[in-house]
Amino acid sequence: MDLIVNGVRHTVALEAEMPLLWAIRDELGLTGTKYGCGLAQCGACTVLVDGIAVRSCITPVESVAGQQITTIEAIGEDAVGRRVVEAWVAHQVPQCGYCQSGQVMAATSLLKQIAQPSEAEVAAAMTNLCRCGTYNAIAAAMRQAAQG
Amino acid sequence: MKRLTALLAILVVAGSGAWWFATRIPASPFDGAAPAAATPLERGEYVARLGDCVACHSTEHGAPFAGGLPMGTPLGTIFATNITPDRETGIGGYTLSQFDNAVRRGIGADGRRLYPAMPYPSYARMSDEDVRALYDYFQRHVQPVRQANQASHIPWPLNMRWPLAFWNLVFAPTRPYQAAPQRDAAWNRGAYLVEGAGHCGSCHTPRGLAMQEVALDSSDPRYLSGALLDGWYAPSLRGDPNSGLGRWSEEEIFAYLKRGRNRHSVVFGSMMEAFNNSTQFMTDDDLRGIARYLKSLPGDPARDGAPWQYDPATRTALASPATLAASPGARGYMARCGTCHGADGQGRGEWIPPLAGASSLLAPDAASAINITLNGAGRVVAGGVADAYRMPSLRNQINDREVAEILSFIRTAWGNRGGAVTEEQVAKLRSQTNPASSDVIVLQMR
Repeated sequence: MDLIVNGVRHTVALEAEMPLLWAIRDELGLTGTKYGCGLAQCGACTVLVDGIAVRSCITPVESVAGQQITTIEAIGEDAVGRRVVEAWVAHQVPQCGYCQSGQVMAATSLLKQIAQPSEAEVAAAMTNLCRCGTYNAIAAAMRQAAQG
Repeated sequence: MKRLTALLAILVVAGSGAWWFATRIPASPFDGAAPAAATPLERGEYVARLGDCVACHSTEHGAPFAGGLPMGTPLGTIFATNITPDRETGIGGYTLSQFDNAVRRGIGADGRRLYPAMPYPSYARMSDEDVRALYDYFQRHVQPVRQANQASHIPWPLNMRWPLAFWNLVFAPTRPYQAAPQRDAAWNRGAYLVEGAGHCGSCHTPRGLAMQEVALDSSDPRYLSGALLDGWYAPSLRGDPNSGLGRWSEEEIFAYLKRGRNRHSVVFGSMMEAFNNSTQFMTDDDLRGIARYLKSLPGDPARDGAPWQYDPATRTALASPATLAASPGARGYMARCGTCHGADGQGRGEWIPPLAGASSLLAPDAASAINITLNGAGRVVAGGVADAYRMPSLRNQINDREVAEILSFIRTAWGNRGGAVTEEQVAKLRSQTNPASSDVIVLQMR
């Protein structure tokens, strides 16, 4: 099957049910996307599939073959993604950093869909967990990124 | 006076006759038979797989076939027995005839009637050859385990067993499966497995007032028409497009029993156990026979309603912030479920099952939907490999009201019409499936 990751087409021979996360990290060597819970609960593994946030740990690789997959490695090449990363840096959001690639992907997905989200829309979309408790910093960075 | 004596005499004779009948040990085709040559291990083990004996005659961390599993009955809890070949506590002392009477007629070696939690009304259909192979397997290939059987919690006088002889007279067949000449060999093999060793009806056929399965074979339209058991709704296995297998092809039924999944569903609840321990070990020919047989059972439009149609409007609605703001169920779905099952309700391939059109979301009984939401799916092990994707338990993450809102949404989305779920229903099942609660569900008759 063909996987299009960060604009590059890879032809890979993988089990159909392999989680996309495995394919990205172990087969393609892109380790910026993290494994957290493996149950779609924490969001550390979030990537974009055709611009929408997807939890790659529960996504069978077969189901996204041929679609545009974006990982944290290429987020700076996206206009919205770059703005999010700049806001993250400005607010010094990460502490340990493990969940942050997923947080950035979720934030980028939201801003691509809703340019100026309300607080409620941010709360509904940003369900990624952070055990350092950087939620206030994330919210502040989101407000900055949303202002463009 | 004479009349009274005559009446007494009649009563005594009738009473003795009834007592004789209720405690007698009937003839077995194996009476006096010379011990046959040993059956190959694979042959006997295969029959034990077909009958899924291990499911009830073992506990999660106990030795295989040593018994001890509690089962709830309306009269009190009973316990599965030790069927290892231990001579003192198991069935090591059983002759083939005694084993046959237990398996096919529900009668222990001492003449005591077994509770029909043991599915002997189904096993009665098994062939002599299969019973012989099964006996050989248990006597020669199962490790003996010394573990005394536990007494039932049913109080006297309800714990007397002899009335079951009359229950058997009415409800338990006595003849092995008779092939239907107008059907082909695959169908007959399927019927033999489903109605016999597979005892599918134990879960999937509704039960009557005497706890009997209301039908035991394909001649009755209520056979395998769906039933509630152990906090799960076992769906119809008939041609019902909504609550049954009407939209499944023979090949899809085969795949489900062989690999535990197809594009409609993944095994869960009690069926996950039946798959893990039994169906995946059946030969392709046997599974194809089962699929052919099940597809021959007609549905009942009066019970099942008009066939489900996918409604794409839900997907559009879920993309609208206004819908999400107005519906806590839709919001909860997108936050808790949508990541895997999708705004379109279609799941992902055959790895994550669709919610659109799922029988548990079209059936009037919401037990399965509530149960899996609270407790998640068990581990599906196919060919020794555990599943990659598993429904997590949400018991500790969302409260009864939120579960009810989300399930009410799901059961009316994408054309589903199972209907609303109440907070009370969720609270009840939450309590019954909490191992720490005092009224926890234990396995029912099956």
